[in-house]
Amino acid sequence: MIDVFLKPTRRQWLMGATALVAVSLTAPAAHAQSRAETLRYVTGAVVNTLDPTMPGSTREAFAVSLSTYDRLVSFGRKQLNGKWVFDLDTVRGELAESYDVSPDGLKITFHLRKDAKFQDGTPVTAEDVKWSLDRAVTANSLAKAQLLTGSLTSPDQFKVIDPYTFEVTLPKPDKLALPNLATVYPVIFNSKVAKAHATADDPWAQNWLKENTAGSGAFVIETFKPAEQVILKRNDAWNRGPANSQAAFKRLIVQTVPEASTRANLVERGDADIVIDLQPTDAAALEAKGKLKVISTPQYNAISFISFNNKIPPFDNVNVRKAIAYALPYDDMFKAALFGRGFPLYGATWTDGKAPSGGFPIPQPVKLDLAKAKEYLAAAGMPDGFSTTFSFNVGQANVAEPMAALLKESLAKIGIKVEIQKLPDAQMSTLINEKKLPFFTENIVAWLPSMDYFYRNFYIGNIRWNYSSLDNPQITEIAQAARFEQDKAKYEAMGRELNTLNFEIMPQIPIWQASQDAVMAPSIEGYTYQFHRQVDYRDLSRK
Amino acid sequence: MSQVALTARRAGRRFLSSLPALLGVLVFTFLLMRVLPGDPAVFFASGPTAGKEEIETIRKQMGLDKPMPEQLGRYLVDVAQGNLGRSLTTGQPVSADLKERLPASLELTFAALFIALLSAVPLGIAAALRPGSVVDHGVRLLCALGVCVPTFVSGLLLIYVFYYLLGYAPDPTGRVDIFTSLPPRATGFLLIDFALAGDFEGWRAAASQLVLPAFTMALFVVAPLARITRAAMLSSLGSDFVRTARSIGLSRWRIIVVYALRNAILPVLTITGIVFSTMLGANVLVEKVFSWPGVASYALDALLASDYAPVQGFVLLMAFIFVLVNLVIDILYGIADPRISVE
Repeated sequence: MIDVFLKPTRRQWLMGATALVAVSLTAPAAHAQSRAETLRYVTGAVVNTLDPTMPGSTREAFAVSLSTYDRLVSFGRKQLNGKWVFDLDTVRGELAESYDVSPDGLKITFHLRKDAKFQDGTPVTAEDVKWSLDRAVTANSLAKAQLLTGSLTSPDQFKVIDPYTFEVTLPKPDKLALPNLATVYPVIFNSKVAKAHATADDPWAQNWLKENTAGSGAFVIETFKPAEQVILKRNDAWNRGPANSQAAFKRLIVQTVPEASTRANLVERGDADIVIDLQPTDAAALEAKGKLKVISTPQYNAISFISFNNKIPPFDNVNVRKAIAYALPYDDMFKAALFGRGFPLYGATWTDGKAPSGGFPIPQPVKLDLAKAKEYLAAAGMPDGFSTTFSFNVGQANVAEPMAALLKESLAKIGIKVEIQKLPDAQMSTLINEKKLPFFTENIVAWLPSMDYFYRNFYIGNIRWNYSSLDNPQITEIAQAARFEQDKAKYEAMGRELNTLNFEIMPQIPIWQASQDAVMAPSIEGYTYQFHRQVDYRDLSRK
Repeated sequence: MSQVALTARRAGRRFLSSLPALLGVLVFTFLLMRVLPGDPAVFFASGPTAGKEEIETIRKQMGLDKPMPEQLGRYLVDVAQGNLGRSLTTGQPVSADLKERLPASLELTFAALFIALLSAVPLGIAAALRPGSVVDHGVRLLCALGVCVPTFVSGLLLIYVFYYLLGYAPDPTGRVDIFTSLPPRATGFLLIDFALAGDFEGWRAAASQLVLPAFTMALFVVAPLARITRAAMLSSLGSDFVRTARSIGLSRWRIIVVYALRNAILPVLTITGIVFSTMLGANVLVEKVFSWPGVASYALDALLASDYAPVQGFVLLMAFIFVLVNLVIDILYGIADPRISVE
């Protein structure tokens, strides 16, 4: 062999040259072809598990599991101000072909698709659904707490009627039972495969499912490197897309790129197809250049707040809270922090002082008015103001930092001295959980953004998400009753009452819904804003 | 006993004597992590519906529900068995994560150090040969620039120019182009693994991916290496034996390389060892900017999340590597100057 290299004959030269030319000609072509059929998604976050119900699983992990697992049902989509968003009110079948709700609202019967198969080729049956939902309400995982919000708490509620019919019984008619089954947690596992990997200590195969999948979803995991990348290939047998189709992309790459500006470069150079978590500046710049498609959707199921702890003085005084509400430079903050990319929740006019709608959230009738702020401060018995600290977490610094600076400047004008405190994320979470922060900014997200869900989860009880530590018997009572109210008009009236009450006591100030900027190659189509605030890769196709 | 066996025995003894230090590092990091504010259980239970129950589940999972001395005891027993705990950030055992990621960091650091030495030593020599000249000032300027520009700035700048504007460099994400299939893992060093697999297209892909981050890191450490080389060369060029060598008419090249440089190399070696250990841990910014899946960015993510196990594992690993590097440097001392023994 060696003398080939030492003394190539003329013939060998020719052969070598031909081979080189052949390689250089074919290689880019093959590359380009696989590129067109591949979706490359870059993100700053990490995928840390393949089982979305694992405690500590990240949002990126949810997005991956949406492609590898099916649920019984999923949300339809609707247009909101010209952008496609998920629609809480239309629940369509995914593994279920159809479902019926009994007239009293207590029984939901699912008729499963007979052609649905798991990725190993075995059919999806009601037994698998039963095992999966039993797991969701029994195992120590994130699913349990979520399904609780839809009155799904015990395996007794789930019944196999026949291999393709499955029944869920509810103790009370609950509007959120069905939507809950469309969230990322109640995924349907291949129960035979999962059981084969269960152990006595781990009856629900949680350890195994962290790194393996046993689902029926649109994509199959090819490689999974936690915190680096996940590569998936299409499950050709999957037909749960629109018009019973398979997923459009043959391959899917989900890659972690921590540096935000690099993500922007990648998508601008065409090396990545879509990214959702750019800095607002980058998204605005890319939009201005006009080469890429930028779909900017206000996160209609999320809210940013300026929060107070209503149990810590002086914020236990409603006049202090109102003084601050009228002393915030809303417009400047919105421009400086978000570059105006979002939906403002201030500056409304409520004609008779009552909430005009029973939805949540709705724009509040507050705007910067220092004279009014001073009046409230005087009414609180603190005409000279006071000193306090305003906290935010480092992870949100690019939005919260300019906001905090403007807030500090504006509050100083009415005598409130603010010290800004920037906390590491884990420390901030801990302090919020222990209810030790007096004054801070935070965001909330509700997967199921119905009015009562917001009030029940964010304004009631001694839980972390009740940022303002509000304990108002009237709000608690109406919100709990609204949950089971079937009459739409009455529900709306309850919402108006809650919104009015909420504004009167001002436990915290909703400021805006930040936009989710999805920046993608112009050829990408089908992007829909989803409840989990991630890209549902199954929605996308290339023109 | 042969020289090699003797050195090995001394090195072994030296290593054993550093074990108490490692244990100290272990206990210290353990305590430090727990003194830091922030409850990891609360952080990880930050899902939209996480309540008290989830927080308790995670706390139990992490073993944080036990009293601190018991936690420490358990941790030490686990470490002795090679179990560094589980990372909540990645969901993997820490030892597996570190094993997966250490080669990435080492490959990058070695490449950077190689580039840095290759440029710093000649620069230092050139500066020492004509102190006060234009060359000397030029080198000084270059060093100042390298040190004062933070790595994330130079990294982003290099990306901007060579990837974004010119398109010469591959996209700065990870160790190899995402469409290249990886070679079977033998050492974890991609350049070695690709070469072993005979996949030279892959080797090129990995090498071109390595260039920008390695240069970014190298830029930062050229300064200490060049300055030390210059100082050591100056003193050794001014010493008696060089004057003697000159007087007997030895060639200039021979005097510089064999007489002066050989004697000047000891401080350079020392500083190289230190630079290497620092680079490995301190290059978190380079790893972040280039999405390099290394240990430093892994530890930083864990630290921000108060994820105890990976941080403790990382510190232990760094301490271990520091001990090893010192050992290697000591041995190299012995080779460079036989009068110095490992003891």
